[in-house]
Amino acid sequence: MMAIMEVSTLTTIAFWAASAMTLGLAAIVVTQRDVFRAAIALAGSFLGVGILYFILSAEFVGVVQILVYVGAISVLMAFAVMFIKDIASGSRPAQGRLVGATVAVLIFAALAFTAYNTEWSSMDEITDPVAIAALTEGFVEVGTGDDITVLTDLPLDGNALAIENDGVFVDSTGAIGVMLVRKYMLAFELIGLLLVAALIGGLLLMRDPKSTEEPEPTSGGASV
Amino acid sequence: MTIENVLLVSGALFAIGAYGAVSRRSLITVIMSLELMFNGVVIAAVGFSRFTPAAELLSGDPVTAEAVRSALTGHVFAIFVTAVAAGEAALAFALVFAMYRATESVEITDASEMKN
Repeated sequence: MMAIMEVSTLTTIAFWAASAMTLGLAAIVVTQRDVFRAAIALAGSFLGVGILYFILSAEFVGVVQILVYVGAISVLMAFAVMFIKDIASGSRPAQGRLVGATVAVLIFAALAFTAYNTEWSSMDEITDPVAIAALTEGFVEVGTGDDITVLTDLPLDGNALAIENDGVFVDSTGAIGVMLVRKYMLAFELIGLLLVAALIGGLLLMRDPKSTEEPEPTSGGASV
Repeated sequence: MTIENVLLVSGALFAIGAYGAVSRRSLITVIMSLELMFNGVVIAAVGFSRFTPAAELLSGDPVTAEAVRSALTGHVFAIFVTAVAAGEAALAFALVFAMYRATESVEITDASEMKN
């Protein structure tokens, strides 16, 4: 049987190029003394991660990464750097750096050891032809979404209830949307609550403590 | 490109972030390093989604659309982590500004007390 979702050589080259960009810029972020340059490198590193998501067939996550990280968080970082004058730059003396490097090397060694010494299950273990087609080719979802019909001869005609989809790794956006409002409904709602709480908390923390009293009523209507 | 390669990159990004979080002195660069660590975790989630099959697809039961969608669980996880990280970054910067207003410093060694 043909291996599903095999990886071409070109994709592998792109993967390593994007990885090198991400890791190189991340190394600049943690070593650069100038904090503004570190913020710019951070934006580039986020962009590299976004490219990695596209290479891993996660288009929607890649777009979210670019919108949220490259678009919003990087701007927040740059704003913070410009807001604070004589910003403390640079790293701690050698002792802290040595501890940090030791911790980082140990974490990396543990993760790499686990990655290469675990027998991960493979996509090739999926034998159901319907499942294989639904992952990478086309499938049609009828009615409530619990039944599945695989189409090999597109396009479809007749059934008005049928929705045509690509395989979930060809076009992931629709499937993610359905998952967010069905299987992960509660988590989705809680994320909304969390963001509101973060918004209110941020506003409270940012408020100038000196301006808490009511502003004095100024001119206009003062004369009786 | 295999799942091992993806996990290697993910682990490297996480380790670089951990190094930065421990060794940097300015709070802003510590937060930057934390964001790098978040990204490392999300790369692992997306990599698992791409290279390892969902349990529902291996069970041998008739394949439903629900089971096919569960192949994208890692993507949904990634979106949740991104949302939490965005909220965390906003709140962390609010804290940094509050501290800067109180002490005129963003050095992490000056952050031992938070009272106004």
